[in-house]
Amino acid sequence: MGWMMDGLESDRYDRTYGDLNLVRRVLSYFRPHWKPMAAVVLAIVCDSAVSAGTPILISWGIDRVAGQMSTATIALIVGIVLAFSGMAWVFNYMRWRISARVVGDVVLTLRQDAFAAVTQRDLSFYDEEPSGKIVSRVTSDTQDFSEVVMLILNLVSQLLMVLVLFAVLATINLRLTLALVALVPVVMGLALSFRRVARTVTQKARRVLAKVNALIQESISGIAVAKNFRQEAAVYKDFRHLNQQAYRVNLIRGWTLNAIIPLLEITVGLGTALIVYYGGIVSLQGLLTPGQWYLFVQAMYHFWGPLTSIASFWSQFQDGLSAAERVFALIDAEPKVVQVASEPVGEIQGRVEFRHVHFTYTGREVVLDDFSLEIRPGETVAIVGHTGAGKSSLARLIARFYEFQGGQILIDGRDIRTFDLAQYRRQLGIVPQEPFLFSGTVMDNIRYTRPEATDDEVRAAARKIAGGEWVDLLPNGLQTDVGERGGRLSMGQRQLVALARVVLADPRILILDEATASVDPFTEAQIQEGLEVVMAGRTSIVIAHRLSTVQNADRIIVLREGKIIEEGTHRALLAAGGHYAELYNTYFRHQSLEYIEQARLLAAQA
Amino acid sequence: MEKREFTVANEYRYNRSGPLRWVASHILRYPWLPAATILLAILVSILTSTNSVLVGRAFDLVAAPGTTPTMVMHAALVILAIGAGQGIAQLVRNLAVEMLAQLVERDARDELYLSLLGKSLTFHGRQRIGDIMARATNDVHMLNLMISPGLVFVFAALVGLIVPIAAIPLNLRWDLLLSPLVFVVLFAITLRRYIRELDPVVGAVRERFGLMNARLAETIEGIQVVKGSAQERQEQNIFLENARKFRDMYVLQGKIEGRYLPLLMLSITTAGGFLHALLLYRQGAITVGEVVAYMGLLRLLGFPTFISIWTFALIQLGVASARRILQLINTETELDENPQGVAKPIRGEIEFDHVSFAYDGTPVLQDISFRANPGETIAIVGETGSGKSTLTKLVNRTYDVTAGRVLVDGVDVRDWNMASLRSQISAIEQDIFLFSRSIADNIAFGAPETATMEDIRRAAREAQAHDFIMSFANDYATEIGERGVTLSGGQRQRLAIARAFLTDPRILILDDSTSAIDSATEDEIQKAMRRIMKGRTTLLITHRLSQIRWADRILVLRRGRLVDQGTHDELLARCEDYRRIFARYGVAAPAQKQT
Repeated sequence: MGWMMDGLESDRYDRTYGDLNLVRRVLSYFRPHWKPMAAVVLAIVCDSAVSAGTPILISWGIDRVAGQMSTATIALIVGIVLAFSGMAWVFNYMRWRISARVVGDVVLTLRQDAFAAVTQRDLSFYDEEPSGKIVSRVTSDTQDFSEVVMLILNLVSQLLMVLVLFAVLATINLRLTLALVALVPVVMGLALSFRRVARTVTQKARRVLAKVNALIQESISGIAVAKNFRQEAAVYKDFRHLNQQAYRVNLIRGWTLNAIIPLLEITVGLGTALIVYYGGIVSLQGLLTPGQWYLFVQAMYHFWGPLTSIASFWSQFQDGLSAAERVFALIDAEPKVVQVASEPVGEIQGRVEFRHVHFTYTGREVVLDDFSLEIRPGETVAIVGHTGAGKSSLARLIARFYEFQGGQILIDGRDIRTFDLAQYRRQLGIVPQEPFLFSGTVMDNIRYTRPEATDDEVRAAARKIAGGEWVDLLPNGLQTDVGERGGRLSMGQRQLVALARVVLADPRILILDEATASVDPFTEAQIQEGLEVVMAGRTSIVIAHRLSTVQNADRIIVLREGKIIEEGTHRALLAAGGHYAELYNTYFRHQSLEYIEQARLLAAQA
Repeated sequence: MEKREFTVANEYRYNRSGPLRWVASHILRYPWLPAATILLAILVSILTSTNSVLVGRAFDLVAAPGTTPTMVMHAALVILAIGAGQGIAQLVRNLAVEMLAQLVERDARDELYLSLLGKSLTFHGRQRIGDIMARATNDVHMLNLMISPGLVFVFAALVGLIVPIAAIPLNLRWDLLLSPLVFVVLFAITLRRYIRELDPVVGAVRERFGLMNARLAETIEGIQVVKGSAQERQEQNIFLENARKFRDMYVLQGKIEGRYLPLLMLSITTAGGFLHALLLYRQGAITVGEVVAYMGLLRLLGFPTFISIWTFALIQLGVASARRILQLINTETELDENPQGVAKPIRGEIEFDHVSFAYDGTPVLQDISFRANPGETIAIVGETGSGKSTLTKLVNRTYDVTAGRVLVDGVDVRDWNMASLRSQISAIEQDIFLFSRSIADNIAFGAPETATMEDIRRAAREAQAHDFIMSFANDYATEIGERGVTLSGGQRQRLAIARAFLTDPRILILDDSTSAIDSATEDEIQKAMRRIMKGRTTLLITHRLSQIRWADRILVLRRGRLVDQGTHDELLARCEDYRRIFARYGVAAPAQKQT
């Protein structure tokens, strides 16, 4: 009975592709499988034919036996009935079996396409789309999509069977058939108007359930607070109230949804009574044999199922198309980063040059305008500035994560747009502010950027960071499982893993966005030691948040609103008393020893 | 009697000794609903079978000589009446069972929630919130589905199998039972095989979908690493591999589902029944109406055959869900309210006396001894995993020691009345939790009935939070969270401090691991902290060197052991680990300074 309820929870979704285009494109994925699809269609047609054939045969049998039929004929009729039943089952099996394989294959191809499209996108795409949505497009929407086709086939098979039956009935007695047809709008109307009501109550129920879930989630997440303040009773009271409300709304929904089947049953009862009456009258007149009459009664039972599934077809069909559209929108999106050539990169020296670069993320706010900067091979450059000054944008452009709109970025004097991107990026080391680890061991993660590295190389790299002491503190050393997204390691440990990754990959250019999350003083000391190792001997561009980093940098670039307004060493810039001095007072002062020593005084004031 | 931290009066007691018994005790809380459901299911089936028989009688009526249209009309009206009665009985049955299902969902959620509130923080620390949510939402809803339509299907299938078959000897002939009984046997055998075959495959499909999804989500969240190191190809291969494994199981499931043998069995036995009926009819042993009635009754067996595909899955899923919920509810919790314990004002002395603590058998703290006098600030430093926060959690009995004693004012914490102990200790956690309510409600959380608006403002001022609160459009009425403002770490921390000010605890546990991005915020936070710590005994886990520098005493923890304790100067002089922290500032040991 599920079919009546399908598609009730769907949200409205604005579409930009036309239905016809979508259907055509959906079908194009099925084209390579046209042979099995044809087999499925054939199986459906045969299934419908033999399924409709069984009641017809039975009715025929009932009429013939009265006329003293031989045992052989009876055996023949029953034999055919048996054969038909067997065939119906076999056709049904074929249909399921083949269509599962086709759907499985189509979904696989589609997922592959969608995932490939996802990896081809540049980072501006990920800024706009929440990751959960991307995931559901690749996994759930692709499944819904192919089920549209199955939905259509299912509907066709059911309608076909009804049509065959009706055609046979019409040749037997047109008036009685028309009486049966007259019930169609009643059943359809009932089903459709019911769905409208059901959709409303379902959405209400969904909202209240979301509220209950939010309340549970929040109160259990904050259980420590509730317990520390002994507020369990108040929390429970809130829950109880909402739970009762959810019960009432859900009961109304449940009662509504449960009313439809019995109501339809009553229409079936009505139909049966109608057929019995009219059929009886016509039989009395000698115009209908008992067998034919029997067939009408049977047809009555067969036809209301398909009718109700037509009622839910349209919304399910639309859901499927929406899913298809989401998948295609993902596949069709144009990448914004475009390479003009794919030249081999060779080993790079690490000279980075911005020449009159113009850059904007959205097209509205300009981040960099006529920006020029040259970084020498092996130089350590610290970039400082307020939020929004364009620090991260510099780093992202060097990594070629985003497209810039004007000027040139040169690496060793060559245009960055002409590189084979994969070769180029393999010589970059990127450490984001919050290092990302994949499920697996610490060793797997250090190796991630250089999959061919041996265990010994990984071990050596880990040892180079702060003497490898951090590895000994992990429960299983390098074999420690980091958990999903590295969740079992502390933020500091994740940073150490990211640094070891860089040591192993030995890139020519290091782009480091220093973490702002605080780390315990011991680990912090290890990270600082690790940073020195990592920055040595390669071009390093650091978005600096640590006092020690700016103090040790060869050069500090001070950014304001996308422009370099000062540059030089920490000492010189501080003495000059310009924007850097202001930045120092805002972001770095509290990291200094003087501040630490004076903390007691500062806190006592005011 | 189980131990719990929170109870309510007049709680309904369910049987928690097993999932089936538990579900049964939930259902039997409202005995008239399942009783009505069963009776109505039987009635529905009887009426349906009666209708088949009546249709057959109508055939005989027409075949008999001298029948008038009025008689046919009467027969049709009786069929109509029975049909309507059947629909109404079905409707009432559905409403009853739906009500039962919703009641059970509500009660199970209530029971689970209440038990969660009663669990210790040890339990909550161990349990992932996602896991709890899955049980409180999906699993509880599966119970609902197990009853409606699951249980209805079970009754309907059983009754729908028995009643039409029972109607055969009652209305027709004994020997016509042959085919349907053969069917029942074949049905039982093939259905059992079907379930056994399908079960593991369905599980595998779900598992593989989960694996594919999990890795995909990770790849997308870590896309910067993937792209930054040009590993797109590697990720594509992993994804393709996962997607292919899913596809294989999906195809296998389709194959098994397509091969649902009970339907074939029904067709075969229906044909057999037809043959039997035809032979009897030819001998004149039964009438044409009886053939029609018989075929009609056999057709009714289609319903139980068909719905059995889902019924068992629903019941199985429901029982599995019940097991998971029950597992959560039945998890033993070590702590209770200890209402007879010591209840008095705390002065603020804390002593750890050779304390060891193990978590799931893994030692976390070993042989820790130290003392904090009333009003002192003790800073605890150590790496992540060295046991810092576990140590502080032994004071308010989030956990209980494995060996040794924790004493507050000379009394073992296990001998304190839990409410008295906890209400005088405030813990400000590392991840500050604020509720999606107004700022005022959040500050007043610990004293919702007694705190006045004036108290709330005073607490906020003390915590350096007043100014930023006033900068919001609705100041203290501003909602926090999804529908309101998002607060920075420093702001959340100051609200938590304000919350603690209002309850005026004697002992403060401060896990201060958030760092301020700018120096001005740092100033504010330090000020607020100094104020809240003043006059209270404070255990302070901190990453701030300034606080470590100025604490009355510092505990240095390493892998669960207390490596050293003392003042800043003492530790600089003798503790190598401690010196390393300050080394990068060029701070040398004071002993060297003097020379």
